[in-house]
Amino acid sequence: MDDAAQSLGLRPGMPLADARAMYPTLAIAESDEEADRHLINAVADWCDRYTPLVGLAAPDGLMLDITGCAHLFGGEAAMWRDILVRLADQGLHARAAIADTVGCAFAVARFGDTFLVPPGSARHALAPLPMAALRLAPEIVEALAGLGLKRIDDIIDLPRAPLAARFGEILVRRLDQALGREDEPITPRLPVPSYVAEQSFPDPIGRERDVLGTIARLAARLEAAMERRQDGARFLQAALFRTDNKVYRIEVGTGAPVRNAALIARLFADRLAVIGEACDPGFGFDIVRLTVLVTEHSDPMQRGLGQKGGMRDEFLQDGFGCLDDEVAFSHLIDRLGARFGPRRITRLVEQDTHIPEFAVTALPAHSARTPPLTHNHRIWLGASSPSPRLPSGRLRPSLTGYGEGRGEGAFPQALTRGEAPSPAPTLPSPACREGKGGGDLSPQSGRGEKQDSLSPTRPVRLFGWPEPVEVIAEVPDGPPARFRWRHVLHEVAAAEGPERIAMEWWHDTDGQKLTRDYFRVESREGLRAWLYREGLYDDATPAPRWFLHGLFG
Amino acid sequence: MSVESPETLHALRRSVAALTVGVPGDSRLVSFGVDSLDQALAGGLACAALHEIGPAVPLQSGAATGFTMALIARTLRERGQAVWIQPDFTVTEAGALYGPGLDLMGLSTERLVILRVPRPRDALWAMEEALKCRAVSVVVAEFSREEADLTATRRLALAARAGGGLGLILHPNVYGSRLRSQPFCRHPSTAMTRWEVASACGARDRFGGLGPPTFVLSLVKNRRGRAGQWRLSWDHHERAFTTSLSLPVAPATRDGSYRKALLRDEPPRTQRRIRAG
Repeated sequence: MDDAAQSLGLRPGMPLADARAMYPTLAIAESDEEADRHLINAVADWCDRYTPLVGLAAPDGLMLDITGCAHLFGGEAAMWRDILVRLADQGLHARAAIADTVGCAFAVARFGDTFLVPPGSARHALAPLPMAALRLAPEIVEALAGLGLKRIDDIIDLPRAPLAARFGEILVRRLDQALGREDEPITPRLPVPSYVAEQSFPDPIGRERDVLGTIARLAARLEAAMERRQDGARFLQAALFRTDNKVYRIEVGTGAPVRNAALIARLFADRLAVIGEACDPGFGFDIVRLTVLVTEHSDPMQRGLGQKGGMRDEFLQDGFGCLDDEVAFSHLIDRLGARFGPRRITRLVEQDTHIPEFAVTALPAHSARTPPLTHNHRIWLGASSPSPRLPSGRLRPSLTGYGEGRGEGAFPQALTRGEAPSPAPTLPSPACREGKGGGDLSPQSGRGEKQDSLSPTRPVRLFGWPEPVEVIAEVPDGPPARFRWRHVLHEVAAAEGPERIAMEWWHDTDGQKLTRDYFRVESREGLRAWLYREGLYDDATPAPRWFLHGLFG
Repeated sequence: MSVESPETLHALRRSVAALTVGVPGDSRLVSFGVDSLDQALAGGLACAALHEIGPAVPLQSGAATGFTMALIARTLRERGQAVWIQPDFTVTEAGALYGPGLDLMGLSTERLVILRVPRPRDALWAMEEALKCRAVSVVVAEFSREEADLTATRRLALAARAGGGLGLILHPNVYGSRLRSQPFCRHPSTAMTRWEVASACGARDRFGGLGPPTFVLSLVKNRRGRAGQWRLSWDHHERAFTTSLSLPVAPATRDGSYRKALLRDEPPRTQRRIRAG
């Protein structure tokens, strides 16, 4: 519906047949809701330049909370004009109104003709408007119209209880919201930042160096502000407002609270280096804004007491590592994360499952536990002392030691060092003697004595997709005699197994997952591989397949 | 010109070292704990320098990975963090690092940060950055020989020298048969040492089962001493290499007697015997 159509008397919501009957030569285009949504989001992004609190009033409106912002643009009237002029420059026809309440602004913008409602005169502005201006469902509007109540004026002074009883509570609530008797918050599209610093330019800037320089200056301003409140940034965003209505947002996360402006600027430099082409300056940016979206308390820290200072030595002796090194390491992870994405830099964290491929998961290095940099002996998992820098309330993955009896089969205790007084060697468990169910080296027998006999039971490299191999093996559960992997035939010189690993039936709803028998095999050339047979020889799987799952060191 | 004293020789060596990339004067040495190997390396594997590791046989990337882990575990003995950089391609090609296996090689997962990069080129950048950081003790990156050319390794060696960490380049799946025709040691790089790793066959424990990880290490390039070949076993408890004797390869058993090779029946008997003795 463009201006020309409106001047012909066509209205939105009109049946197409009627419109065609009036003007047979009418040009018609399908409505594209996706594109509309895209446009309104783009405009909302752009409106960020006026206030950080921009809410969507679906499907075709925006709600801006300009409390405390108007004076930056020379007052409400000037701001209103500025918005409309700039939108018109972009080819968008918009109606805007400024009022005390969300409801009133909505009503006046859509149905009114005085667009600047002075404070306290919402009632006066609303009175002459039609009932639909109250954001009511069409049925209610019709029902009211049937009673002759067409303008807001008609119901504004009516007794509330009968109105609510007859038309639902929504009517009274909308009226109260429009008049400011009831509070109605705007739900901002984007998280509201804790700290904001921005710089606008009369002449747009386009060079990367200028942008980075601006970010560094803004970061210095934020540093001072954060220092006062002893906060550190964990998540930062730089918004670059291009002159032609496009907004780029560059986000950077850090592992530890950061205040230092130079560090922040460097993170953004790394990030920009990757984004590069995707962030096209076009005719330049006229506003650069740096916001801190997530903060964390960070005590002022005294650092750099020399390489061999008393404090540092104390830390080393306590086993907490050097603070400077920790900061340097944390910053390295931040930078690598900024460049490649935080999901690509990970630590392996053990999971409480016996399924080999899920026994370990890669968590982003910063959400995983940061261990102290120094250690003198093996610390195993949950029992170890908490890291001095562990942020409270952060995600702490469940950690389970291999040593503490897994659900299935036997996992060697090769991991835990025999610190307890050595118990007498025990017999292998019955399960092992039967030759089923994890029947390899009995882990219990080795505890406390010198464990020279254990070869690793888990490979060093694991294939994400186990590779199918052709295997010749004794039926039903013998180890492979030879196998062909990647077109090469390997003769098996020695094998250990089977280690039977059943799938987790409590997760497996359709019963499709098969039990696996794992074998550790060594070929005549010395290749050590982890093979498994998927399924047992029975009715369900007459010909089970073999896979190579990993390689040993 | 005659060398007058060891001190003079040492001073001269240091001044030469200061001029050359990749041969730092006095950096930390990671000793193998095996005399003949440490002698060949003039005390041990030099930190603040670059070393290359590759499998001697194409499919044995597991052995090279295991040896690399053993080296990291030895280097991190007291303190420090390791960064392991893997391009996506090598992960699909040679497998991802597996946490439980890592632990069983004596390298705690808590001490290792793994970075996955989309392209091999990124691995170079990331490795350089990580090497410069002095909080990182070991940086491992997996990329092929083509990526690790002279310029790249020179940059990496300089970075390692600045940061003081041990730089390891792991070629995931290289040489193999082509190596014989085109010697790997002639491939130009500024690495201090270059290792070819194969797993030794026939390593058995005292019960006849698969023994500890045992490597046949070929030191094909060594800027501080002679080359050579060693056969070492890795003890992940003590985090120590031990020289292992060559044992006869156990015959492959296909008649069902493999069950005897397994330890189900063996330990009690052996232990009884030990007690009796």
